[in-house]
Amino acid sequence: MEPFTRLTSVATPLEVAKIDTGMILPGRYMRRHRRPGHDYAEAFLHDLRFDEKEQPRLDFPLNQPAYSNSKILVTDVDFGCGSSREGAAYAVLDFGLRALIGPSFGDIFFGNLMQNGLLPVVLPFDIISDLWRQLRTRPGVEITIDLPQQVVIDAEGKSHRFDINPVRKDRLVRGIDDIDFTMQHQNEILAFEAARRSRFPWIPTATRE
Amino acid sequence: MPTENRLNVPLTIFEKVWNDHTIVRTPGGEDLLYVDFNMMNEGGAFLAFDQLRLEGRKVRCPSQHLAITDHYLPTTTNRAAGPAGISNPEIRRVVEMLDENTRDFALPHWGMHHWFQGIAHVVAPELGISQPGMLITCNDSHTATNGAFGALATPIGASNQLRHVLATQTVWMAKPKTMRIVIDGALADGVTPKDVILTIISKIGVGGAVGHAVEYAGSTICGLSMEGRMTICNMSVEAGAKIGMIAPDDTTYQYLAGRLKAPTGADWDTALTYWKSLPTDDAANFARELHINAAAVAPMVSWGTSPEDCSPIDGAVPDPDTIADPDRKRHVLRALDYLDLSPCVPLKDIRIDRVFIGSCTNSRIEDLRSAAAVLRGRKSSVPGFVSPGSSSVKRQAEAEGLDRVFLDAGLEWRESGCSMCNGSNGELVAPGERSASTTNRNFEGRQGRNARTHIMSPAMVAAAAVAGHLADVRRLKPN
Ligand code: SF4
Repeated sequence: MEPFTRLTSVATPLEVAKIDTGMILPGRYMRRHRRPGHDYAEAFLHDLRFDEKEQPRLDFPLNQPAYSNSKILVTDVDFGCGSSREGAAYAVLDFGLRALIGPSFGDIFFGNLMQNGLLPVVLPFDIISDLWRQLRTRPGVEITIDLPQQVVIDAEGKSHRFDINPVRKDRLVRGIDDIDFTMQHQNEILAFEAARRSRFPWIPTATRE
Repeated sequence: MPTENRLNVPLTIFEKVWNDHTIVRTPGGEDLLYVDFNMMNEGGAFLAFDQLRLEGRKVRCPSQHLAITDHYLPTTTNRAAGPAGISNPEIRRVVEMLDENTRDFALPHWGMHHWFQGIAHVVAPELGISQPGMLITCNDSHTATNGAFGALATPIGASNQLRHVLATQTVWMAKPKTMRIVIDGALADGVTPKDVILTIISKIGVGGAVGHAVEYAGSTICGLSMEGRMTICNMSVEAGAKIGMIAPDDTTYQYLAGRLKAPTGADWDTALTYWKSLPTDDAANFARELHINAAAVAPMVSWGTSPEDCSPIDGAVPDPDTIADPDRKRHVLRALDYLDLSPCVPLKDIRIDRVFIGSCTNSRIEDLRSAAAVLRGRKSSVPGFVSPGSSSVKRQAEAEGLDRVFLDAGLEWRESGCSMCNGSNGELVAPGERSASTTNRNFEGRQGRNARTHIMSPAMVAAAAVAGHLADVRRLKPN
């Protein structure tokens, strides 16, 4: 997992409230394999980005050239609400985003983002509105997120402090995911497993036939 | 490995099993627990495999996993034909993906034509995989079913958590609080374990046991067969609990003895000694306790769109105007609208269009026997079908002639799988149709778009089939 420290990038305003996980990853993509070069990038917000004829909606910010290469999305209330559809976080990742800044996020989605090395930042609604204004009036302008310092520096140089669970922050900054984190306990796991197998030798196993 | 304080502090069975699996303790946070055995189905599992593949990771202990295809298998196709015999391409693809993923990761897999294929929560217990004191995970909400054996069995997420279990053989979990539900007394004729658990859920609500590991105890539970105990633990999640357990006893040991994966010889004796140390100590404390009088439990049916929306069969559809809580009132109004029911109508007057007997709640041999006992020599007045919980259950039912009873009554006798429980396999209740089902969830759309579900016991579904409307199995006219 790529460490997340300080990110300076173009940011895109997305002023649509309550975008749920079903809009982030439309159902028809849910049964699709994720392979390199064939991932969920296309699926991400697909029906907002494209019309019924599969033509890009030009009024949609993510389709505007000024916002291309944007790694930060400034979202509206309850982004990622709805069902627990875990693929939604993969769609964000595969689209090339690294951070979302918004007034609120769906609970499970929020956890899934961090699980995949993405940073969701929660800031008060008036700050978010101000960010939208900056990004709308000067499309393509960059903002900075400094995770170690826990601040967002907006396009006008103002700093906004945000909160984050310290354990989650540590994992993001070091770029270790849940498996890396667990395997830091590898010795304990191996010792536990060996002891358990010798004490409970009858615990069933299965074989591939 | 036995916990330090095991000898002096009285513990619940849940605490004993939790402690025996704790690798890393994080006070106030999540503990790292060892997973003895993990089951998986074709549902969302492919996301976990895709991610592992992208990361170049492997499965740490392949022999401690078993993949079973259950959700997407049609129950009508010729299974021997393999996935090619599944006509719907999307459904076929999901079935194939589990085949491919288990092959790529060298995981044990019982696919569609395996002799033991069935619903994971039916197969693991009947083969003796689920044993007292084990920690079992599965990417499915009804994993607590296996807790009927005194195992700590818990659902995990189909993607991130499954991926983590595959790669590490461990799971991080916050320790839930403990809750004991004690049911004492004898169940009246026609009253089944399904009625007990529906009564519990109607009393405490779908959020009633959130954050708790539930232990079911009392003389009623002790008197139940393993099948009955599984029905009860199965629906723990409908009360909000991810874990539901029953202490092992002679019924458990007799059930396990001789099963394919159960210990034998000297291992059996050592296992038995350990298993007997697991039941909750007399002086152990629970954060919450609830008592139910078995004699007061009546056959239950649901009338709404949440498992807590159920009442004894001699009751009536509630009148929203008499409900004080505004949220509850709004829910009931919406539920009655969805189900097309009028307030105060006697539940027995609700006509049905079809029946479904199956699902991990009620598709074991005793469930089929109980439905067949009602249907024997009678006709179903509505269409419907029976999907046994596993291929083994199907063979046993056929050996007992139960298939004939269902067929003679006019119902279809199908292959095993989740089927119409949630319709992943394309077998759906038609829009607007009303089904009496032995399943566990009556949510809007659960059995199909605009499908109207009433959940109840197998005997009650059989009674409804005969009557053509919800009916009291105790009052069915002799045939
Ligand atoms: S039978 Fe129904 S509840 Fe049980 S595992 Fe299958 S879909 Fe889930």
